Amino acid sequence: MEEVDVEPAITNIPAASAGTHLGFAWGPGDILVYETLYKASGAIGSGCPCIHEVRKDEDIYSPILRKLFNESHHIFVGLQTIGEDLPSKNKKPQFVSISKNYRSVIRACMEELQQVVSILLAIELIWNLCEVLFIDAAPAGSLLLHLLDWVRLHKADVDEKAREVLQSESPAEHHDYWNVVVSYVLQGRLEEARQMLVKQATLQPAARSMYKLMDTLLSKMPFYNPGGTQTLTEFDVKWRHWHEEVDRCLQDNSFASNKHLEVICKILVGDEDTLLEHKDLLSTWYHFLVTRLLFCHPTVKPTELHYYAQSCLTMFLDSRSVPEPLDSILLAAFEFDIHQVIKDCSIALNNWWFVAHLTDLLDHCKLLQSHNLHFGSNLREFLLLEYASGLFTHHSLWQLAVDYFDHCPEFGRVYLELQIERVPLDTERKALKVLRICEQRQMSEQVRSICKIMAMRALRNNRLGSALSWSIRAKDAAFATLISEKFLQDYCARGTFSDLDLIDNLGPAMLLSDRLTFLGKYREFHKLYGEKRSGEAAKLLLSLMTAKIAPRSFWMTLLTDALPLLEQKEVIFSADQTHELMFCLEELTSLNTTDEDTELTKVELLRLALARNLARAIVKEGTVEA
Amino acid sequence: MVSVINTVDTSHEDMIHDAQMDYYGTRLATCSSDRTVKIFDVRNGGQILVADLRGHEGPVWQVAWAHPMFGNILASCSYDRKVIIWKEDNGSWDKMYEYTGHESSVNSVCWGPYEFGLILACGSSDGAISLLTFTGDQQWDVKKISNAHTIGCNAVSWAPAVVPGSLIDQPSGQKPNYVKRFVSGGCDNLVKLWKEEDGQWKEDQKLEAHSDWVRDVGWAPSIGLPTSTIASCSQDGRVFIWTCDDPAGNTWTPELLHKFNDVVWHVSWSITGNILAVSGGDNKVTLWKESMDGRWACISDVSKGQGAVSTITDTQQTEQ
Repeated sequence: MEEVDVEPAITNIPAASAGTHLGFAWGPGDILVYETLYKASGAIGSGCPCIHEVRKDEDIYSPILRKLFNESHHIFVGLQTIGEDLPSKNKKPQFVSISKNYRSVIRACMEELQQVVSILLAIELIWNLCEVLFIDAAPAGSLLLHLLDWVRLHKADVDEKAREVLQSESPAEHHDYWNVVVSYVLQGRLEEARQMLVKQATLQPAARSMYKLMDTLLSKMPFYNPGGTQTLTEFDVKWRHWHEEVDRCLQDNSFASNKHLEVICKILVGDEDTLLEHKDLLSTWYHFLVTRLLFCHPTVKPTELHYYAQSCLTMFLDSRSVPEPLDSILLAAFEFDIHQVIKDCSIALNNWWFVAHLTDLLDHCKLLQSHNLHFGSNLREFLLLEYASGLFTHHSLWQLAVDYFDHCPEFGRVYLELQIERVPLDTERKALKVLRICEQRQMSEQVRSICKIMAMRALRNNRLGSALSWSIRAKDAAFATLISEKFLQDYCARGTFSDLDLIDNLGPAMLLSDRLTFLGKYREFHKLYGEKRSGEAAKLLLSLMTAKIAPRSFWMTLLTDALPLLEQKEVIFSADQTHELMFCLEELTSLNTTDEDTELTKVELLRLALARNLARAIVKEGTVEA
Repeated sequence: MVSVINTVDTSHEDMIHDAQMDYYGTRLATCSSDRTVKIFDVRNGGQILVADLRGHEGPVWQVAWAHPMFGNILASCSYDRKVIIWKEDNGSWDKMYEYTGHESSVNSVCWGPYEFGLILACGSSDGAISLLTFTGDQQWDVKKISNAHTIGCNAVSWAPAVVPGSLIDQPSGQKPNYVKRFVSGGCDNLVKLWKEEDGQWKEDQKLEAHSDWVRDVGWAPSIGLPTSTIASCSQDGRVFIWTCDDPAGNTWTPELLHKFNDVVWHVSWSITGNILAVSGGDNKVTLWKESMDGRWACISDVSKGQGAVSTITDTQQTEQ
């Protein structure tokens, strides 16, 4: 049975009366909650008329985090396409570089917004540690150096204090002077400590030899050089010699007369109690951990870290204080329990940004599998889907989400299909943007749906041209027919066409529906007529009826259109063509028995015109050119 | 984990029975015992009353928005035995159609997937389910399933348009296999599945697990897997998740989500179908999610007032 580690959070809704129930409904991004009364036989009684919109507390709505999302989106996409052509051993520097990119984005955001800084600081701290331990995966020797860098980066107040001290009149007498020196030592910044100590040394000429001794000790502390020729074992030997030397100084009471130097000496030898006496300078248990390792066990191996981490945490926190979420996350990282880190971060942080991107990067480094997770790469996809779904409810960030869904091979596509239909199509431009996304991914159902919605909307606003072009794009024959009808009705009412440009350039789209084809061809007829290409116009007009492209209801209009052609001085319709026209007229009149005077007059007029034209045509065709 | 971000004062004079956001979350429709249906524009945290629709003669139980491709259309059903379909034309809302074919209160309405056009399923206390299909030019075709549930039908919910799994087998470019299906829950303690074959509606499956009236059913959206999922809740305090793995749709397996201490009135799936919301007589709305290995866990509690009842900690209990 799956146990939930954390009790579900409870959200209270302000409500008026007791004895009522909570009704709800899903919105696209939010939940609606309202007071109601469910009863088997119908509820009576007044309740609170308020409806509450409830939303997940995701920090995606802050403008600064939007910058975070935008920038990290670029990095994400770049990562997905990273050197598939590169051999895996060459990829690590790239992954480390990408990790640093993410972190620089976090830092960039931090600079812009103070409020969110504490969360971002924590995120960056965790990410940095994950980079050191998991991605860069430094071996013993380099490991400690990286951890030192990590601590130094996140303890910037030392430099501030140092500046203050150095800028004072007499730095060596500043009340914070020794704090700064000790802080430097705790961080392994021995050069700077030495420089500070020089100032004190000049003030106490009597104690010169003691200061000289300390200076020597500090300068001789070995630091492992990963790029050098010295092996780890050799370094270890050297370090032990140095450690013994420092210890001898302590035993000899060389610094007994100066309590400050004595303290520093004890720190150098790694005395736990002395370190713990400086909790205020260390301020965190992980600083304590790194310092302790620096002075007790600089060749610590990754696999040994968690013993030290756990004990340092315990030693540092007194019995009253409880570990905070950040502490558990860091501890899990030191234990190389990636799964636990991700899980704890998911619970502690208010949005999915961090876990989604970090997990994705770790997955690319092939770290999730090697740690034998239950879900393998599904965890990555799960988190990315959560993150991207959250973005989708935002009016402009939803576009970023698309790329994330694209890189979720199992469910990304269907999630995108379901979500993209909910993007409000406020403007034509936005609709086109959404459409382009769907078309690029061959999401034909969604394309059809969006075009249909836009066509409907255009029709309601009487923008026939727009409606027609949307229904063509939707390949919606039924709708195209409907709109073509409207165009034709429009023409009959006003005598002109609207949106000529569109109709003239239909091209093969004309074939979408019969009515549309007729509309296109009918317009063509008018054009030909206007260009005085009477012969072609006549031929087209006739074919519209004989090929049954024109609906029967329109025939009368067409025949009426033929009248001017029949009345011209020149004979346009041939005898055969005239016969066909007459046939059409007869077909029309035999079906519709109408008593309307206007209709009858028209029919008579047509018959007359046709007969006359027939006569002229026969004569013309029978005449031999002299 | 969740917070109230906006409150809309509907000014309904009596109990609210349903509230629904439209497709895009820009409009809110509410209905009440005061016999009215109200529509609000809620863009950007605002609340502007757009329409106050009167036409029902009794408490209105549910409202449902149709897909935006058909325009702005809303259906409502009421104790007065009527189903009214409202439409917005040129900025004003009017009755598009009124259906009076039921002999008792109509409890639930649900629009079908847009692939089938405009089709509305209605469940009534007279035990029948009606299917209203828009055929064009203000005409609606009515099909009625009489005695769908003895004593009464309380809820209806449509299945997604595509038969699950069929997309995987289809070569691209071919039209997917559409089958009209929906699920209903009734006073006979049963959950029933209905399928349309050759233009006739037939009872496809009968799912028995509840020991009291089924109050609500919900068919989860399709995420492309060959599985179908249905949630049902009942006066017996239980919520079941029914899953079917075979494409023919014949074997449905129930899994008890949770046994609540009171009647469970309402279940509803989120858009991508990965979260189920459950509301009950214990004044809470709980959100449930399926974890990676197929178990269901409660992820959030939305509760009324102060002094909330204790949280739900165990996620799965075998039926006692």
